Amino acid sequence: MAEIMIAMKQLTKAYKSMGDEVQALRGVSLDIEKGESVAVMGQSGSGKSTLLSILGGLNPPTSGSVEVDGIDVYALSQEMRADFRREYLGFVFQQFQLIPYLTALENVMLPLTTIRKSNKEKREIAGSVLCRVGLAGKMNRLPNQLSGGEQERVAIARAIVNEPPVVLADEPTGSLDTKTGDEIMALFQRLNQDGLTVLMVTHNPDNTRYMSRTIIMKDGQLCTDKAELLQLVSAGKR
Amino acid sequence: MQLYHIALNNILRRKVKMLFVLLGLLIGIATMVSVYGVVEAMRTEMTRQVAQFGANVIITPDAGELTFSYGGITLPAVLFDVEQLTGEDVAAIENISLREAIRAVAPKLLGLAVAGGGHLGDANAQNVVVVGVNLQQEFMVKPWLRLRSAEEMQSDEQYTPERSNVPAADTVPEEKKEMDFAMLDLAREDLTRLVLSDEQILVGSTLAATLGVMEGDLLTLSGQEFQVFAVLKDSGSAEDEQILLNLSAAQALLGRPEQVTLIELAADFTLGSEEVLLSQLREALPNVEVTSLRQEALRRDEMITRLVRFGTSVSVLILFVGMLVVGLTMSGAVRERTREIGVFRAIGFRKSDVAKIILLEGLIVSVLGGMLGYFVGMAVAYYAGPLLANMSIQVPWRLEIFGLAVLLAILIGLLASIVPARQAAKLDPAEALRFI
Repeated sequence: MAEIMIAMKQLTKAYKSMGDEVQALRGVSLDIEKGESVAVMGQSGSGKSTLLSILGGLNPPTSGSVEVDGIDVYALSQEMRADFRREYLGFVFQQFQLIPYLTALENVMLPLTTIRKSNKEKREIAGSVLCRVGLAGKMNRLPNQLSGGEQERVAIARAIVNEPPVVLADEPTGSLDTKTGDEIMALFQRLNQDGLTVLMVTHNPDNTRYMSRTIIMKDGQLCTDKAELLQLVSAGKR
Repeated sequence: MQLYHIALNNILRRKVKMLFVLLGLLIGIATMVSVYGVVEAMRTEMTRQVAQFGANVIITPDAGELTFSYGGITLPAVLFDVEQLTGEDVAAIENISLREAIRAVAPKLLGLAVAGGGHLGDANAQNVVVVGVNLQQEFMVKPWLRLRSAEEMQSDEQYTPERSNVPAADTVPEEKKEMDFAMLDLAREDLTRLVLSDEQILVGSTLAATLGVMEGDLLTLSGQEFQVFAVLKDSGSAEDEQILLNLSAAQALLGRPEQVTLIELAADFTLGSEEVLLSQLREALPNVEVTSLRQEALRRDEMITRLVRFGTSVSVLILFVGMLVVGLTMSGAVRERTREIGVFRAIGFRKSDVAKIILLEGLIVSVLGGMLGYFVGMAVAYYAGPLLANMSIQVPWRLEIFGLAVLLAILIGLLASIVPARQAAKLDPAEALRFI
């Protein structure tokens, strides 16, 4: 039996919006195996981004637990959770979220800032990761001097520079054209084949082709209706 | 990549905002440095003036509201067209019971004479200030007065082209040309041996150069011929521009027999109370003005103290406003950087790391603000100080003030950055990234 990398048990999340209580998650339980790549789909407001933020140790659930590689994420203190994120998780955000005043190389070096390594070592590590994502010649460019696809590659390089076992991606191809989006998905696929566990929130059914599993969220719950799942995926393919 | 790289890069990116922060600190520090610089320079100058003044009591005619400045200290006017002191006033001082507390009584008559004419020709005639003095007493109340040395005199002799205008001693009548240089040498060694005849004068260094005269030369003053016994050493005081001669000779030359313009006293207050001495002097000389320079200095000191209080209050206020500007600007910058801080937190920066970035930014701008503030403050003190202080002052460059200015700027900058740093550290990363 494959090793479980992420284990979510009975996750609920309620928050107040305009005075009303909104149930963003209603008892989500999900296991993701090591080396798996999972696409999370669903309509806006279905709770997929909330799931991702809880899994990323950024947003404590109202109830339930999350374990990553056997670590109960929310049993850790806030500062320890920061260390956990650095060691175990890589984030690829919507709209890349690169730091505009840092070069591509410096953006990739960011997660290494707080670890004890010489600047030279950090540069070497970040440089090799940028080569791996195909940006060898553009290390010293600022984000605004890069195309959307290139910025996405920098964001991916930043997510994997610390060699985390898990990468969480939120709509990574949302602002890219189809061709560039496919290239980025191919890159994710390659990283996954290298052993990385990937959990990706996406609206684009095409992206599910590159993932080993797709789950659908509806009204804060995992959708188990296979017909609906097939319908969603095929709708995307059309 | 270290935290300070992020701080530095952000400062460089937000130049206008950071310029505001910098200005907030710079203006506060510059105000403090300039006020401190001017006040310190004023104090130093006051101390120098008071120390340089061998005399500490000045007796002048009662001149009502008129004033004049003597050695940088304001006194009632004494020059012309006012009631004059006389030899009787000098004698009256000798009779007071606290006479032993007065080390020297230096009466003097100030007036203008025309130097030149005669041998120099009318074209070279010029007005000069002549001061009739009792030489021994004068040198006691003005301890900085010295005669020019023989070496200085010789080196000057080679570079004084104007000397061709002055008749050499051998072209003037025999009885006038003899100059007792042995006497001059003795006087250089011991000023108490300096005794002038009524035909001899001492010339201030600057005036001697202007007139082109030196020891042994003859100089005509208002038609009367005098021999330059010695030239005074350059002292930076009023005497550099004056001619000193015996009081009786000056009274005769200026046609003001028995008159005295002012009397300077060197009193030793360890031998008697200042108040008692002043009251005795005022009693003995009812129609004159008796001014204590120490009291004058104290009055000035009080004025400086008031200036310090005012300057400090203004500086503290400006620094406080500067701190608010720094705090508000940085706080605004933190709000603008919400997403960026969210990214930092998501990729594993601790709260303390985020706070450190903001504090480092505050620190970098503070150091810069402190350094620039010091230089701007010193420049203001240097150029505007003499105008503000209304006296000639030298503002010194002092390393410890530079250090203090930078430290103060750092303290203010960091204090102002604490709130924005906490605000940044407390940002909820999920909220910041708007996952929900």
